[in-house]
Amino acid sequence: MSGLLRSRGTAWILIAAALALPFAAHAAEFPYLVRVGGIVGLFMLLGLGLNFTLGYVGLFDLGFIAFYAIGAYTTSIAMKAHVPAPAAILLAIAVTVFARLLLGISILRLRGDYLAVVTMGFGEIARLTINNMDWLTNGPKGMQVRPWRPLAFLAKDPNVQFYLLIVAAVLAGVAATRRLEDSRVGRAWVAIREDEVAARLSGIPVREYKLLAFTLSAVFAGLAGSLFALWEQFVTPESFVFWESVLVVSIVVLGGMGSISGVLLGALILAGVPPLMQATLSAEWINYRYLFFGLILVLVTLFRPQGLLPSSRREAELTS
Amino acid sequence: MVLQQLVNALTLGAIYSLIALGYTLVYGILAMINFAHSEVLMLGAFAALGLATILPAAFGTGALGLGGMFVVSMLGAGLVNVIVERFAYRPLRHISRLAPLISAIGVSIVLQNAVFLWLSTQSLSFPQPVEIKQIPLGGGASVSSLQLVILGAALALMALLHFWVEKTKMGKAMRACADDITTAGLMGINADVVIAVTFFVGGALGGAAGVLYGMNYGSIKYNLGFLPGAKAFTAAVLGGIGNIRGAVLGGFILGGLEVLASGYIPNGAQWRDVIAFTVLILVLLVRPSGLLGEKLAEKV
Amino acid sequence: MIAFRRSAAATLALAAVLAAACGPKEKAVKIAVAVPLTGDMGTEGQGLWRGVELAVEEVNAAHRFAYRIKAVPFDDRADPKEAVNVANLIVSDPRIVAVIGPYNSGCAIPAGKVYARAPVAMISPAATNPEVTAQQLSPDWIGPKVIFRVVPTDDVQGEAAAKFAFTNLRKRRMALLHDKTPYGQGLAEQFRKTFESLGGKVVSADGISVGDKDFKALLTKIKGDDSRPEGIYFGGLYTEAGLLLKQMKELDMKAPFIFISGDGSKTPALFDVAGDAAEGAYLSIVGIPVEELPSAREFIANYKKRWTGSSEELKPFDHFGYEAAQIVFAALERLGAPDADGMMDREKMIDELRKTHYTGLLGLTTFDEKGDTLNKIITITKAHPKDRSFEGMH
Repeated sequence: MSGLLRSRGTAWILIAAALALPFAAHAAEFPYLVRVGGIVGLFMLLGLGLNFTLGYVGLFDLGFIAFYAIGAYTTSIAMKAHVPAPAAILLAIAVTVFARLLLGISILRLRGDYLAVVTMGFGEIARLTINNMDWLTNGPKGMQVRPWRPLAFLAKDPNVQFYLLIVAAVLAGVAATRRLEDSRVGRAWVAIREDEVAARLSGIPVREYKLLAFTLSAVFAGLAGSLFALWEQFVTPESFVFWESVLVVSIVVLGGMGSISGVLLGALILAGVPPLMQATLSAEWINYRYLFFGLILVLVTLFRPQGLLPSSRREAELTS
Repeated sequence: MVLQQLVNALTLGAIYSLIALGYTLVYGILAMINFAHSEVLMLGAFAALGLATILPAAFGTGALGLGGMFVVSMLGAGLVNVIVERFAYRPLRHISRLAPLISAIGVSIVLQNAVFLWLSTQSLSFPQPVEIKQIPLGGGASVSSLQLVILGAALALMALLHFWVEKTKMGKAMRACADDITTAGLMGINADVVIAVTFFVGGALGGAAGVLYGMNYGSIKYNLGFLPGAKAFTAAVLGGIGNIRGAVLGGFILGGLEVLASGYIPNGAQWRDVIAFTVLILVLLVRPSGLLGEKLAEKV
Repeated sequence: MIAFRRSAAATLALAAVLAAACGPKEKAVKIAVAVPLTGDMGTEGQGLWRGVELAVEEVNAAHRFAYRIKAVPFDDRADPKEAVNVANLIVSDPRIVAVIGPYNSGCAIPAGKVYARAPVAMISPAATNPEVTAQQLSPDWIGPKVIFRVVPTDDVQGEAAAKFAFTNLRKRRMALLHDKTPYGQGLAEQFRKTFESLGGKVVSADGISVGDKDFKALLTKIKGDDSRPEGIYFGGLYTEAGLLLKQMKELDMKAPFIFISGDGSKTPALFDVAGDAAEGAYLSIVGIPVEELPSAREFIANYKKRWTGSSEELKPFDHFGYEAAQIVFAALERLGAPDADGMMDREKMIDELRKTHYTGLLGLTTFDEKGDTLNKIITITKAHPKDRSFEGMH
């Protein structure tokens, strides 16, 4: 069943569709689709990142967006200091990973849901600190980011340029995740998620592997944050509120924990449907967008509690 | 000023404690963070406002007004919580631990938007059934009759809860389920009923907190639940999730911390939440199960 | 499972097709309104929308134009990312000739870049951060200057309030509060600059968060401050201002201790939050008090007649939305007739807006080369809860 979706053929079709999107949007005179595509892509990256922490290892992280913010702000500050953009991106990833590592070392010993509160707390700490450190981040007034148009030779529209960059990042992310998923590390993560005590007893270095998963997530968050900052050319603390962390958690859980295709579909729906609703609903109904969104969330969870495209392992467990 | 700040802290803490109790009761029995609890407390406030608007003569003022508002809000909020549990969480309970959470998030969004779209998009002023008199305490400090009512009501409800959980049969059943729901089932306790009752009680406490909140700040709005909800949940964890005394302790400590940050640290007001969360993280690092320890089913 | 996957794919495809198919259908000239219609700032955005809708309804009823005008709402939820989404959507509809919005500076800054690339004229009724228009002067700016605003930047109000507090009320020591938003913090920073330059002293500066309710601890600290502040200047909106006033009364912080705030607090809704505690609060506003202008009284009357719901009271910035719409209409008049397809020229619209010389609710509005309004009249008003009014102090 989901085997079909995971087949090589389907993957190539989807990649082709993704690359064709800008052309289709141009033909349909609906460039908005490219913008939505880019946003969806960023959330795919975030979802893939959180998937390591939450999907594979089962660590309940409610403050993931803080690292998106750290990535975005590091890039903005670096660009302001006239660091060239590619270096700024790498710097942002490094700083984000480092921050995540520090946090992980401090808190990973906490039990499941305490971790949730602590990560939520850290998310708020990060946002409020960014908001208060006017001398570095310009506080609530936000920071402008120098323009960067790396693919100007391909397309004039910056939306298209960044869309393609994001697609490339997502593809790289998927490939990297696949590799790790099928490795010894990936299997160890699942063992930890299912039964930490048993995993430890079988010799898995639980603490180190948890930290690894936790930290790897930050690579994706830092990259996504950089691309976001460079695309929007403006960052402000208001973009990194708690709600966004909740959205990413929903994407991973709704999509199917530990399932790459699930996370991608989850991002497509949860990050794609609200902006599409803005375009399609008539004036009287646009105020209902989030009411519908909440209903969708509840209904999809009720009817597919294992996730939209759960990993085959999980499917087997839950339906046995 | 210390006395005044103490009064401020106690009032704030009392409200946080009531909300925290709602979270902790549900968590203790199901290991689930009821994300919709913040909207339940908001609905309790709106229910009370509704009563005072429809029957202002009878329920707008005085002791009857106050009592009526509590009854309506607690019943209403409790009922909402039970209905939500029955339809949005129960089907998911046995399937996965995180699915009910996503459902709760969805419910929270639906409830908040429903109130925005169908009740009011703006702040509505909340009735004051209590005549506000300032009672001087000496040294320039004073406590208002309203603050006394809030403290009194909160403490009374907590005492009632304590009595109920310790001394009644249903309370015992709740504690049994919180300890080990499977064995409780084997002992003949109907877990579904106990869970429903727990949600009712938790919701009712949230509703009462909503009324106190409305009275204390004078107005209510569709999004009033989010911030106090998040903070109260933090307080519940600080005290030890699932632990009733912990929730109360956590609520008052959080109230105290916030007052300390705003009142005594220069420029502290804007760092208030950072301080609160930092203290939380530090406490949990030293005592990973919260200040008073947790009371949860052991999942070995 | 396959069935579900197929139907999911079909639904997504349908949605995409619908989205693509959603193009100009009606032959009306459209004005987009991009504000937060839902979410935490939904209250303010809905008010702005009502202001614009009222203007559009009036103009259609009076048949002022040969064609119909339609106001189209877009909800940015005060989220900068959503504001950019909405901007992208707006610029792809050629029938939209101008956009009124955004409400938040954090949204106006990134959205403005999108509007400039199109180009589509953008008039903000409420974004006050100077960067909103100043960014157009940067060498990195792509496109013409398309941003206008009918509301003066923060510096103007903060300065006027500081002068009033120092000179008229003879206060020498003030405590500063703001809500950590570009608007509130901007007002507070300017107040401090001017107040200190006049010789006054700002004894403390604190930030609160929008959505906070409890300021007792903070107010108690200010009350007991050894430097004995004589009043509070608050940069922020009416909800927090109202709560501050209410809690100040509960803590017995009354005259001669003063409270001054900005136009975000000057609204009857303040009385809903603060009640009698609002008596004597000073609030600065742009232009002459709405109550004193005959055209404005008419506006208030029409607004109240049109919007009678309990959650539809006049908010502080609604009349800015109305005025922005009127300015757009004035420019439309100078543009003449639409082309054969019923579409107006967006670039000509931008040029005509630049030439605006409009007298209305706010007084005379003209724009400088950045698009900032040159109307910098500030009036200080005093709140009177008994009759829910604001008395202009001249």
